[in-house]
Amino acid sequence: MYRVFLVAVLVLLGTSPAVAHHGWSGYDASRELTLTGTIREAGYEHPHGSVRLQTADKTWIVVLAPPSRMENRGLRREMLAPGTQATVVGYPNRTDPDELRAERITISGKTTELR
Amino acid sequence: MHPPSGPAWAVWLETSAPAVAMRQWLWLYPSIEITHIVGFVVLVGSAFMFDLRLLGLSRALPVSAMATHLLRWARLALLLVVPSGVLMFMAHATEFAASGAFQLKLALIGLAFLNAGIFHRWPFRAVGDWDTELTAPRPARIAGVLSIALWIGVITCGRLLAYF
Repeated sequence: MYRVFLVAVLVLLGTSPAVAHHGWSGYDASRELTLTGTIREAGYEHPHGSVRLQTADKTWIVVLAPPSRMENRGLRREMLAPGTQATVVGYPNRTDPDELRAERITISGKTTELR
Repeated sequence: MHPPSGPAWAVWLETSAPAVAMRQWLWLYPSIEITHIVGFVVLVGSAFMFDLRLLGLSRALPVSAMATHLLRWARLALLLVVPSGVLMFMAHATEFAASGAFQLKLALIGLAFLNAGIFHRWPFRAVGDWDTELTAPRPARIAGVLSIALWIGVITCGRLLAYF
């Protein structure tokens, strides 16, 4: 019974829609990217903040850190205002080609570590 | 950032004032997470301790007395677990509603309650016959194993929500 249950859990989880947004293998750590662009939209929100970053060739969704951590490290809400230039270093999502999880973000010469 | 899309009821929940507060107030989200964790520690912890007794550990302790003590706390813990869980669901309603892990979690919670209900209406009715020093009847032991397995499944799904 217990074994049947465990197998059922694994099977059902395996078939669930993949919207992985946490660490683990969701992001390709072997492919570090540096993007520079203009913030078009910012979400200073739980469980993690994000910005829509327009670069020369496309617009990325850049996943940042929890807002409490960003605030603690001096990256305030208003620093992510639309129109701001930003550079991020991070890893692209393996399945969503427009998403990047940022390790750090640089705005007006100030770099904030996000991990 | 990802504009909410999905069933109308989920979009409505996700754009409601409590959901926005959950995402935007700096300390609300972690506070609610902590409340949820404290609640399910008491709920699942109490259930496990009772289940282990059904499985034959600490037979000197009367099952009826353990039920009175532990299961009361398990029920009271729902007052912490359910509202905090609803708030966290609201903050991500469209994403969670579509998540296999979340659907499975709800199904497992339903089965855990069903299991408890059957236990109380069936083997537990005659607890006086096996209250101390005796092996619990097979249906009671099965209920204990199911309870442990189901709650582990619930916690697993809850945690994996963040990863799938």
